[in-house]
Order: sequence, then structure tokens, then C-alpha cells
Amino acid sequence: MEGEVRLEQLKKLFDEVVAVDEIDLHMPPGEFFTLLGPSGCGKTTTLRMIAGFERPTSGRIVLDGVDVARVAPHKRNVNTVFQSYALFPHLDVGGNVAFGLKYRRLTAKERSQRVAAILDRVRLSGFERRKPSQLSGGQQQRVALARALVLTPRVLLLDEPLGALDARLRKDLQVELKALQADIGVTFVFVTHDQEEALTMSDRVAVMRDGRVEQVGTPREVYEEPQTTFVADFLGVSNILHGEASADGGDGCRLKIGDRSLRAASGETGARGEAKAMIRPERIGLEPHGSDGENRLPGMVERNVFRGGSSEIHVRLVGGDVLKVTAPTDEDLHEGAPVTVHLPADALRILRPDPEP
Amino acid sequence: MSRLLNPWGRPRWLVAVTALYIAWSILPVAIAILFAFNNGRSRTTWQGFSIRWFTGATGSVLHDPALQSSLKHTLLLAVMCVGLSVPLGVTLALGLQRWRGRGGGTVNTLMLLPLVTPEIVMGVALLLLFLRVFPSLGLGTTAQAIGQVTFTLSYVVVITRGRLVSIGREYEEAAADLGAPPRDQLLRVVLPLLAPAIIASAAVAFALSIDDFVVTQYLSSDASTTTVSMLLYAQARGAPTPALNAIATVALVITLATLGLAFLVYRRFVGGAEAAVATALEM
Repeated sequence: MEGEVRLEQLKKLFDEVVAVDEIDLHMPPGEFFTLLGPSGCGKTTTLRMIAGFERPTSGRIVLDGVDVARVAPHKRNVNTVFQSYALFPHLDVGGNVAFGLKYRRLTAKERSQRVAAILDRVRLSGFERRKPSQLSGGQQQRVALARALVLTPRVLLLDEPLGALDARLRKDLQVELKALQADIGVTFVFVTHDQEEALTMSDRVAVMRDGRVEQVGTPREVYEEPQTTFVADFLGVSNILHGEASADGGDGCRLKIGDRSLRAASGETGARGEAKAMIRPERIGLEPHGSDGENRLPGMVERNVFRGGSSEIHVRLVGGDVLKVTAPTDEDLHEGAPVTVHLPADALRILRPDPEP
Repeated sequence: MSRLLNPWGRPRWLVAVTALYIAWSILPVAIAILFAFNNGRSRTTWQGFSIRWFTGATGSVLHDPALQSSLKHTLLLAVMCVGLSVPLGVTLALGLQRWRGRGGGTVNTLMLLPLVTPEIVMGVALLLLFLRVFPSLGLGTTAQAIGQVTFTLSYVVVITRGRLVSIGREYEEAAADLGAPPRDQLLRVVLPLLAPAIIASAAVAFALSIDDFVVTQYLSSDASTTTVSMLLYAQARGAPTPALNAIATVALVITLATLGLAFLVYRRFVGGAEAAVATALEM
């Protein structure tokens, strides 16, 4: 199967600024692979290097076994869906979709058949004669998709293709795009800064920061088993606890926070000395004041934020730290109420120490 | 006093000054045009309406050989000027747009220099150039065309670059992404998108060429290279008839028509793009 991308020691400097810092990534054929990170993390530059718009400073871009790092963009069998779609305003929908077919050896009949088939696929049949300016944002996005997919690329690159759409349409298109990808089996390399989008759609996610890859894994892995503070923070709300790690005798470790000691059973439990631990708000249990047992800490409700389906309770611990806890909305937790929080050992995750800057 | 302090009142003084200025600038032109239709030889005393100075048997724009020749030469120079400066200017603009290395800024500034150079200075400099450096070219039509291109080029470059900047690189990248080699990126995407700027700059070059006097005068050789503006200058102090007003009117109409046409075409293109943005936002 075709469509395998391998980035090897890929690096890009803009003048003296490092945009992408010797990253290694592997995207197997047919995978929905997402580059996720805040703006300036190098995700778009990485995508643009795969497309051929930026020349790598060093490193290799191996597409199905061939290094294409020095190949001009019009000779690469990858296609891009641009953030702003970049539909040609002087051509109609049919003209836009047929644009790239000119460079394939096809008869006029085959060409129009392909255009019709792909427009049918993205549910835009009958729109051939419309100008891009006469389409809604969502329709333009689908034309951009059709224009790229009609060329049957080995890899489709998508640069925040849902960024310009409103929230509702985004959600619908996320599901639609994922279904389309699964159906046609083309490798998708998807760039986004939206963690929810990344988690919803991807087979695997690479979380990027400052030109480097922080962590690669399935959405479940990067969300539930983040290795660094950055990944934990970037993918949803997380609580970070600072403490002193020590051996526990078993396969977990003890984390000493002030005069309390917690057991942590996941993450880098081999860590010793100063360490950080993370726990997701939804994994923390709220119990009546005075409950006893392992990994329980007393605290006081500081704020109760209504979130629709659930509430976010801010609990101030005796030591001074504030934990965010997700709780059902029906719980009566007014400000100032004393509670006990339960941090289950298997949900308390010791993070990898941050690299020295 | 209270009206002056009223911030919602009409700014009467500004209205008056503006009206006065408009009247002052239009009046001489209006009078000149009016006397083009005078039924007599005077350019100051009204003797009734006629179009004899446009189409009459003697001394009219249509039949006077000197007037005819100057009009033809003016149009010839205008066509040559547009034909040379537009392709050159668009190419230069594209080149400057892609120039990423050192020296780009300097070239940019140099491109703007002809816009601020006094025309008399450029005229004298070009005259010396053609007399001393390229004597084989000599003065006359070719020299006049080259001279006009020298300063209209800057306008073409400035107009085209403005449009290039607003288009951005993304469409070219999209074309490349879809498999178009550089030549097709230019022909199938960039040039069609540049069309409004090309039309606008052609109109501006055409109007500048028709209106130009100083450079065209310096680089002229004999009577056959006399343009309308040169003729007006030479005859205004000699034996003027309303035929001069008539030919000036013709030149003015051609200039205005060209600019008006260009404006309409430009608005059609760019207006379409704006309408596009508006529709996209509404959806």
C-alpha cells in the first residue's frame, strides 16, 4: 500500500530561527496523522516541507521509500488542502477541480468523469458552474478537498482546513472528514491547534512544541498518558502537582507533597527526587468531608463553575494548591464547603522531567 | 458661535472651500471646451454654436493636416508606450516580488525614483542620453516612446505590485501543489488574477503618454513627431483658432474615456472579489 511518509532529522531554519528542529516522524500508509500544537510550534512548516513549499535546511522526507526533500512541489504526488482553501477565484468549481487533471494523461471524457465523480463524492454535484465566491464556507472547503482528492494523491496534507468554519459546522465536518479518510484510505497529515479536533479525528497525534515533537501516540495515549507537563496541559485541563518522589516497594512510587504522601502508579514511577505528577479533573473523586483512605486529601470548595453537562469544582487543598475537579451538576457544592478529594493511584501520573531549556 | 460649536452641524466652511476649489479647477477646462464649439475664429468671444472646428472643410481637427498628424502621432506614441511599459512593468513587478535576497529594497526605491524626479530633469537627461550615448538611435518616435516608457514603467510596477501583494503566494502554491509547472502557475493563475491591475496600469500608461509634454518635446525630431500637447504649446502663442480647443477636447475625451473604461473593468473584477468576501461572511 502506498502513502508512507517518513521524516528523518528534518530541520528548517528561517534566518537564524529554528522552526523545525530535527524531527523524526513515521506516518504509515492510510493513517490519519495529526500534527498538534500551539501557533509557532512548527507544525505548519513541517506540513509545508512535505508539500514542497519550504525547502528543508537538512534532513530527509521519504515518501514511499524515495527522498523527496529536494523535489519541486509540482512533481510530488502529495496534495494540500489550504487553510484559506486558495480556490482560484477566476475559475468555477468545475475548473478548480479539473485544474490538476491537465497534468495527467487523460482524455477529455475521463477528465470530466473524474470531476463529476469526486464532486458527487463531496455532495457538490450540480455546482460545477458556480464561482467559489458563490459558495458557503463549508462548500468551499469541500471543493478544496475535491480539487486535491481528484488527483488521487498518496498523501493528503490538510492545513487547519476547518479553522475558518463556525463551531457547529466544524463538528459535522470533523466526523465527515474522518469517515471520508477511512473510506478512501489515503494517508492524511492534518495540522491543527485544536486538541479536541485532533483527539476526535486522528489515528495518531504528534504533539509539537518549539519545533520539536513532545509525544506521539494514539489520541487515548496522549490524553491519558501524557509524558510531559506540556502535553498534559495542552490536551485538556489537567492538574499538576509538585512533590518529592521516592520508592514505594511495589511497582508505583510515593509522591510527597508537603506533609502528605500519595501513591502514584502510572507514568515515570521510577523517578526519584523532585517530580511532577498530573491528574485529569474527571479522574478525581469528591467525597464527603472526613472520608478516610489512601490518596485522600482534605480541601475546601473555592468555586463551582457551571459547564452545562457537568460542573468544574475548584478545590483548595490544605497545602494551598488548587485542584480542578469535574463533578455532576446536581451535587450541592457551595463555595466554602469542606470536602475530601480522592486521587486514585492509577490516575496519578508521574511526568517526565522537562528538558533543560 | 453656537453653530460653530455644534459638532453635528454641517462644516460650512469646508463645503464652501471645496466647492470653490472644484469650480476653480473645472472652469478653465469648461471654457476651453466651450470655445471648441464656437462658430467663429475667436477663442474669447462667443459667436454661436457649431462643430466646424471638429469637422469643417478647412482648419478643422478632421481636415487640417498638422492637427491630423499630431493626433495620429499622439495615439501612436500612446499605443507604443502601453505596449512596451505594461509587459515590462508586470515582469519587473513579478521579479521584485520574488526577489528575496539583498538589494531588493534598493531596487524598490529606485523603481519609485522616476515618480518623484522633476520631468524637466528627466527630459534633459534623456535628451543628452540620446544625443551623446546612443547617437545611432537619434531623436524621433523611437526616442519619444522609450522616454515615455522610462517614467510610465514606475506606475505600472507600483500598480501591479500592489495587486500582487494583495493576492499573496497561496494561489501559486496551490497551482504548484496541483502539478502546474512554474510557467503554468504564471499563465493559468497569476496573470488572470493580475488582470485588473494590468488593465488599470495600461489605462494609466495610456493617459500619461497622451498628456506628456516635457519628455516628448525634448525627444522630438521634426514636424512629424509633434504631438497634440506640443502643438497646443507651439500654436497657443501664434495664430490660434478654436481648432486648438477642439483637438484638446478630443485628447481630453480620449484620456477620460480610457480611464473611465479602466475603472469600470477594474471595479468589475475587484468588485467581484469583494462581493465574494461579503457572501462568504454572510453564510
